[in-house]
Amino acid sequence: MTDCGCDKAKAELEEYIHNELTTGEAADIAEHMATCTDCSGEHLVGLTLTAKVREACNEKAPADLRSEVLLKLREIQTAR
Amino acid sequence: MTVLLEARETLALGDLELSPMTIETPEESTPHEPAVEVAPVGEPDDVRALFEEQALQYMDQLYAAAMRMTKNPADAADLVQETFVKAYTAFGQFQQGTNLKAWLYRIQTNTFINNYRKNQRNPYQGTIDDLEDWQLGGAESVTQHTSTRSAEAEAIDHLPDSAVKDALQSIPEDFRLAVYFADVEGFSYQEIADIMKTPVGTVMSRLHRGRRLLRGLLSEYASDRGIAAAPATGSKK
Repeated sequence: MTDCGCDKAKAELEEYIHNELTTGEAADIAEHMATCTDCSGEHLVGLTLTAKVREACNEKAPADLRSEVLLKLREIQTAR
Repeated sequence: MTVLLEARETLALGDLELSPMTIETPEESTPHEPAVEVAPVGEPDDVRALFEEQALQYMDQLYAAAMRMTKNPADAADLVQETFVKAYTAFGQFQQGTNLKAWLYRIQTNTFINNYRKNQRNPYQGTIDDLEDWQLGGAESVTQHTSTRSAEAEAIDHLPDSAVKDALQSIPEDFRLAVYFADVEGFSYQEIADIMKTPVGTVMSRLHRGRRLLRGLLSEYASDRGIAAAPATGSKK
């Protein structure tokens, strides 16, 4: 657990956000961000981006698609 | 005899992992004779029930992904239907206990690449990973403004879904899909690598670049609309 500095934090921020770091690596970055407004600001922007993308991509399949798919599966089964 | 033949063709459909080119649509390989109730001993009903129970729950998500891929509702619905048909036909090859959602996404991504992507005009396709950011246009002019990060986050946060979708649609497809798989589905880099059939390093690059482009577009959009004074940031030096 040592402050890893801005360069390392910025370089690995995306992996930090996407949970791709080891616990130790993640802890180093978290520790750095606790005292660095620049990096914690970057982190906030990154998290916001993820949240917005997730929120925007919430389409529901059209209602008739489900019944069409079910019908299709039955057709295939019968044809076997 | 028909039954045997079909069984072999069904197996061929299972080679999904090998090469996108090996996938054939069932329509092409299914004989026309309406084999009346041949149901090979037991199973089929159970298999279909199992498939419906396990796979159909992902329909909304696959549809949302299909929208990112095809960019229109009609093609998206077709793609999802085709994905389920192929997945059902190859369901015997699915290893219970492994990640079904990732498996479905792999089939859908394959199907999209084989059937839809080749119809789209994209002069950069295939080499997009080699292009420099400035060649991609869009959000290339960037400056570092450390003091406005929270303002930028807030501005992005206030954008309507439509702006986010538009921005997503405007970035290169491979970047867009990497962003979708990571940020919407929460797949790991390795899972995305398997779905997109590309090394993990390429996944990272696509995800980073996609998110950087997206951020630039959204910040730009926000400041254009006066949502908040937030210059685009985040360039690599």
